[in-house]
Amino acid sequence: MFTVFKLQITYRLLCILFISLGLSACSVAPWERGNLSKPQMALDSHPLQTGFRGHVYGSREATTGSTVGAGGGCGCY
Amino acid sequence: MVVVAIKKKCKKKHIPDSSASALKALTTAAIILPGMMPTVEAYENEVTIQYGHYEEEERDLYGMVNDGQVDGTLDLGAPVGIVPIKVDKLAKKKLPSPKPITVDSLFLQAKVSLSDRLKFTGNYSEDTWSGASPIATAPVGFGSNNLVQETVNGPVTGASPYLENPKPYFDAQYNPLRLDVNHPTAPKRIYSQDDQLVHTLAMASPETRKQGDFKLRYEFNEAAIDVGGGISIENDYESWFVNWGGSLDLNQKLTTLSFNQSYTNSTTSALLDHDAYQYFSTFAYKDQIEQGTPSVTLGESTHQTLFGEREDWSTTLGVTQVLSKSTLFEASMNYTNSSGYMENAYKAMYVFYIDPNQDPTKVPPGVLTGDTRAFLEQRPDERNQWSWGFRLVQHVAPLDAAINLNYRFSLDDWGINAHTIAMDWVQPLGRGWTVTPTVRYYSQDTADFYHPYLISKHAVGTEEENYNNISENNFSSDHRLSGYGALSGGVVLSKEFAKGLTLEAGFEYYTHEGSLKLGGDGEGSYADFNSYSANAAIKVDLSTVGRAISYGDHSHHMNHGTPAPAGVMFAHMLPKAGEVMVGYKYKYSRQAGDMLQGNDKIPDSDILNSTCGGGACYVAPDKMIMHMHMFNVMYAPTDWLNLMVMPTFVDMSMDMRDLAGMNNPNRVDDELGYAAVIHASHEHMTGGLGDTNLSALFKLYDNSAHHLHLGLGFSAPTGDVEIELRRTHGEDLGLIHYGMQIGSGTWDFTPNITYTGNSDKWSWGTQLSGIVRLESQNESGYRLGDKFQSTAWGSYNLLNWLSMSVRGVYTSQGALHGEYNDVHSPIGPMDSPESYGGEYYDLGFGINAMIPQGDLAGNSLSIEWIQPMEDDVNGYQLEREGTLSVNWGYMF
Repeated sequence: MFTVFKLQITYRLLCILFISLGLSACSVAPWERGNLSKPQMALDSHPLQTGFRGHVYGSREATTGSTVGAGGGCGCY
Repeated sequence: MVVVAIKKKCKKKHIPDSSASALKALTTAAIILPGMMPTVEAYENEVTIQYGHYEEEERDLYGMVNDGQVDGTLDLGAPVGIVPIKVDKLAKKKLPSPKPITVDSLFLQAKVSLSDRLKFTGNYSEDTWSGASPIATAPVGFGSNNLVQETVNGPVTGASPYLENPKPYFDAQYNPLRLDVNHPTAPKRIYSQDDQLVHTLAMASPETRKQGDFKLRYEFNEAAIDVGGGISIENDYESWFVNWGGSLDLNQKLTTLSFNQSYTNSTTSALLDHDAYQYFSTFAYKDQIEQGTPSVTLGESTHQTLFGEREDWSTTLGVTQVLSKSTLFEASMNYTNSSGYMENAYKAMYVFYIDPNQDPTKVPPGVLTGDTRAFLEQRPDERNQWSWGFRLVQHVAPLDAAINLNYRFSLDDWGINAHTIAMDWVQPLGRGWTVTPTVRYYSQDTADFYHPYLISKHAVGTEEENYNNISENNFSSDHRLSGYGALSGGVVLSKEFAKGLTLEAGFEYYTHEGSLKLGGDGEGSYADFNSYSANAAIKVDLSTVGRAISYGDHSHHMNHGTPAPAGVMFAHMLPKAGEVMVGYKYKYSRQAGDMLQGNDKIPDSDILNSTCGGGACYVAPDKMIMHMHMFNVMYAPTDWLNLMVMPTFVDMSMDMRDLAGMNNPNRVDDELGYAAVIHASHEHMTGGLGDTNLSALFKLYDNSAHHLHLGLGFSAPTGDVEIELRRTHGEDLGLIHYGMQIGSGTWDFTPNITYTGNSDKWSWGTQLSGIVRLESQNESGYRLGDKFQSTAWGSYNLLNWLSMSVRGVYTSQGALHGEYNDVHSPIGPMDSPESYGGEYYDLGFGINAMIPQGDLAGNSLSIEWIQPMEDDVNGYQLEREGTLSVNWGYMF
């Protein structure tokens, strides 16, 4: 219960932050979410490409990002 | 076969134009309300197959590859006191630069809803790579990449991937000097400062990595938890991992909080480069290196393995927020702690030992001479990385597009700060098409312990003294730890078909340059490289298809009894115009046991006394395994014609053994024999995209009891036939064994004719098929033999969902024609063109299950084991142990 309360506070703080940044936010009614539910609006619109390219970047760049934990092997080439 | 047959007449109505897709989006929104985030996991039952290819362009070696055209012995008549330069007595032949790294990847994914709330995702992936990559760096004036030489009349032998001049020169400020000899007949030495660096490249034989992993997700109304895990296996690296996490939706799903944690445990067991460990010091790792079992032939161990353990803990926190009706924002934070062996066991560091107190009479004024040693790289045993990521997804109303902006900053205690900025423009085009141009920029700082090479101002001494005289505790010349920037751009094209079938293709070109580093000060241009990656994927949404097809129509598949046994190709036709089928078939075959000549088992002495590819025989195959993944898309434009495309992905491995009697001094002292024994101590592997079959099936006769069809097809040579082994122990074996090339390399004609019949609980069938090579040779100079196969089977329905089959198979295949037209050193019977093909008799036992009702209705699984009964081989060949074929099907 306490956790939920804390989360609500966090959420409100986030909203205040966003509003103070001039972003109209935090009160999008369900019937206003048509655009948000379009496939092109997905956070990751092409997960297959993300996976494939991420594997390439991971074997050629020094920072692994957050791919650790998803395998990928050594990339020792 | 993943069989997804779809009937046109009852397909789901698809609304292609953009106004309709807006309507569709609204409808979708209404269905998933209140306000669920758009998610890529919208498909609850989905199968995905993806093939990818990565290839680097050649690196600039500043003319250091085999450009020396020196004839005969050269005595430089050096000035007094200076060590004469030893120029190789061998004339060098200009050979092409080593092939750059290429990687072929396969990815298979199945998403299944186990219940309304429980979702399962299973992934399988496989990569095979080969080619040359940098192992160390040195000034170009020292002459690295003395890779391959050819004697005037003899075989190709190789020098070590090492510096040509291990006693290089420096000026008084320790800047590298290049020594030029202005005329070979009247030599005069010219020293000039040359700071240009160059990589030393080493070629790797093909290697394959395989990974299986899964994720289980349980969804509550406003939360989800997931657990997952997997394992990744390579010859020299094995890791297993587990992860867990969850997400919580708040405020009518306008906000989502997420948490993920993972643990990865990795073990390195690197077979050290046999050439390299003779002069790459492994002093620091002496407690981590194990000697291999001594070779019976050589009486000594032929390999050393370096072992290392590594652990990674990673935690990610994220928040996703709907900012407005057309804006979505995500922020995430990751912390990763890695500890243990994080080195790359194949990378080395050159250290030049320069005695500051050199005898001035032995060097020209202002010139210092040094000694070269190389050490395996040494990285810190711990790394802490933090990263913060921000993403904004904005709907662009006039074009109904979305712009996806992503920025990530990461820093670690190795000194690497990195920035990544990426932008995707996701543009739906109508009719199911989406095009997405992508651009990405990455920049990283130099790791604290990165150096192209090191200088030690001490005279060279014992290995231990040399190691202790390195000023750094950690050092690496891996250019991936240098400061650089990378700019890449690409495009993704996808097309969603009405039937729940999506095709997707992506391409990206990538430029790595020191000068692109943010703020300048990046690594020199010698480390620059360009690469490209391309991939294609097919996704089948089983839920859409399932909803679209009425269950009662399944019966048409039953008209012709149970499906043919799993190992029979081209046996099934779609009976109705407009139907589409997507399928997957897996085949495993194994050879092991005795060596055969004709149909007799023979002792090794027979092979030892014969010839292999025109030369002596040293080794024999001990075990050969092939895995083949076949995918097919089949379409029936009319009810008497089916068109089919079948790409394949193949990987193979071969273990060899020394022939008994090889420990004869004549054989072991033979350089090629020695190299053959070294090769026999480890597995050879190949893999990648195989040949692609394009076929048309014509229905000739069909009633409820009998069916006859003719197949006419071509096999396109998409599989590689130029795979090479790495040079080892000074010997370049060149192209790998014929049987381990992935494709045929020729356009082939693949006709077949199939008859099937059924009565009550019995089904039967017969098929004649062939492969005719349409070209006299492939690009490597040979062609495979033609092939003919006949088979007949019978099956009986034990239960309404279960049947068993028995099948006889006769196969005849010709020997190889021609031979390799490039560097290839035969070492065993598998290198003889005449030791391919033969006549084979097999018996197949199959089981076939079809689920007629319930949640899994329409699924079928067929398995067949093919047991060899008799072999009559051409030349000398390894006995076959059998073939397993598996078809998984989903029928409508």
